[in-house]
Amino acid sequence: MANKLLNSKKRTILVLEDDRPLLEVINAKLEKSGFGVILARSVEQAFNANLDKNGLGAITARSIEQALDYLEKLERIDAIWLDHHLLGEEDGLDFVKKFKANGGRWSKTPVFVVSNAASPKTVKSYILSGVSKYYVKSDHRLDEIVEDIKSFLDHHEK
Amino acid sequence: MNKRTTISASDEIIFNLKVLAKGKEIVRRKLAATAAKLAVTAKKLAIIAEKKEGVRRKLAITAKEKEIVRRELVMTAEKLAATAEKLAATAKEKESVRRRKLAATAEKLAATAEKLAATAREKESVRRKLAVTAAKLAATAEEKENVRRKLAVIAGELAVTAREKETVRRKLVVTAEKLKGSYETLEKKVLERTKDLEMARAKEEAVLLSIGDGLIVTDEKGGIILINKTAEKLFGVKSKEVLGKLFSEVVILVDEKGVSIPPEKHPIRMALGAGATTVAGSIYYYSRKDKTKFPMAITATPVILGGKVIGTIKVFRDITYEREIDKAKTEFVSLASHQLRTPLSTVNWYAEMLLEGDVGELNEKQKKYLGEAYRSNQRMVELVNALLDVSSLELGTFMIEPEPTDIIKLAQSVIDEQKPQIDTKKIIFSFSSGKNISLMQADPKHLRIIVQNILSNAIKYTPPGGKIRLSISLMNKNNILLKIYDTGYGIPKNQQDKIFTKLFRADNVRDKNTDGTGLGLYIVKSIVENSGGKVWFKSGGGRNKCTTFYVELPFVEVKKSEKGRSIPGRKEDTK
Repeated sequence: MANKLLNSKKRTILVLEDDRPLLEVINAKLEKSGFGVILARSVEQAFNANLDKNGLGAITARSIEQALDYLEKLERIDAIWLDHHLLGEEDGLDFVKKFKANGGRWSKTPVFVVSNAASPKTVKSYILSGVSKYYVKSDHRLDEIVEDIKSFLDHHEK
Repeated sequence: MNKRTTISASDEIIFNLKVLAKGKEIVRRKLAATAAKLAVTAKKLAIIAEKKEGVRRKLAITAKEKEIVRRELVMTAEKLAATAEKLAATAKEKESVRRRKLAATAEKLAATAEKLAATAREKESVRRKLAVTAAKLAATAEEKENVRRKLAVIAGELAVTAREKETVRRKLVVTAEKLKGSYETLEKKVLERTKDLEMARAKEEAVLLSIGDGLIVTDEKGGIILINKTAEKLFGVKSKEVLGKLFSEVVILVDEKGVSIPPEKHPIRMALGAGATTVAGSIYYYSRKDKTKFPMAITATPVILGGKVIGTIKVFRDITYEREIDKAKTEFVSLASHQLRTPLSTVNWYAEMLLEGDVGELNEKQKKYLGEAYRSNQRMVELVNALLDVSSLELGTFMIEPEPTDIIKLAQSVIDEQKPQIDTKKIIFSFSSGKNISLMQADPKHLRIIVQNILSNAIKYTPPGGKIRLSISLMNKNNILLKIYDTGYGIPKNQQDKIFTKLFRADNVRDKNTDGTGLGLYIVKSIVENSGGKVWFKSGGGRNKCTTFYVELPFVEVKKSEKGRSIPGRKEDTK
């Protein structure tokens, strides 16, 4: 019973981060903090995320349309952890724009940008495109960010 | 007697009567003769009467004529009377006129007399003055006489001098003749020298013209008198076209945005005005005819002869390349800083998880060692952040984005961030703020950097148990003052002037604390000055001397209508 309750409360977070060691440590911290984590290192990968291990079903997608179609099928997605620099041509900002415009029922999902790209111009672009928060990686402890995201979600899900 | 008288009376009467009768007869005869005579006389009288009548008639005629004449005379007399009357009136008038004239004349005469009297008085005073003057003149004359005598003496002396001069003149004539000879020789020499000079000049000009930097020489009015090849190429002009033209007509200087720089701000004007070399920074751009522009370094030097500016020499260098290198350098720093942050974040977060025991408890020694690595890494993060700030400050991309900001809340959040350090060092900390400090227009990121730096400096450089006081108050309507006082190590007197210099750290703190980048105050000063404020400090210097930093910033109050807006700056606060 308790397990079932816990599972139902378990939040799913999609993490987009190009740096593998960072991706691993973020994954470890988030899982330890009780999140279900989907990892991706590029925008394309985000839409092709293998969701098997979280029991959410595999998603593969070659195009944005397809990816969005798959996102539609996701049972739940509670938050997106996004880095600015990603593998491939597109960056985090491209993802946010596409996601906000075509994300269907998930387009309202809060996006947390966690990046070292901190030029005022970049930060402003993200804020204007509607992300929830912007963290400069090197200025924050990992647990700080995770706790902040949790409290944000607690506050906004009420 | 009586009887004799009576007898004789009768005889006498008869006799008398006879005598009487005889008398009567004589009378009668006499009467007759008289009558005859009377008749003749009557006849004569008649004739006379007739004659008289003729005369009378003639007289009557004459009387008539006389009457006419009389009448005429009467008329004439009347006329004469009228004339006489007129004459009398005229005479009267004339009389009154004459009198008036006389009166006026009399008055005038009186006035004149008065004037004359005044004049006489004046004359008298003048005369007296003249008398005084005369006395003085007399004295002067005496003096003059003295002078004249002296002059006479001098004249005598001059005469002597003149004679001497004459002697000299004669000698000079001789000398002149000699000089003439020398002059001819000199002229020859001058000609030779001129040739040499022309050669030298040609050489110099060749050097100037072929110099690698652009060079323009102007006269004192700014007219171009020389332009070298590099300058011709630089400005796309030909020497012939621009010689004699005003420099400001040929070279249009603009700023980075292409707005032309007013002539008074031209380096050349500034050089002419200041009489000293002006080296212009890269704010000067030259706009070519095709509207493309390039940045220039300009050195303008006035040519001064006898204390007067007679022209200027301007050296130009196209610094496009330098600017590109500079930009590339700054971009490199920015990119490198960014690239450095990622591995730093990795080290940070892994160390953090290890220290937190997320992957198993560490022993005390492991914790201590890893803690050192973690803290060093934190310092590295600080350094990279500072370098990023510096590079963006120097690249000019340090955007000021003012928004309604609550400076008190912002300062409080910085204090909260640094509370652990304050507590660790057992520093007695206090924060006070003036009343009625409303929201102000400021860039919260910049404000945060300022407060962070001055507070962390105070904490870093105050020994354990010391005191720190932060206060924020309004100086006046337009300025807000941040004051941070500490009982720290102080800033050595001999290094106080360098404290805002990039990468500078005072000797006394380098000894005690290896932490610190030497960039903080440089950044603070740059930001404060970019925002139109100023920063200064007072420090006793030496050991345990108190230091106070002051940051004055423009206070632009946010109007009530703007207060309802969201405060984006808050979003970045994660605590």
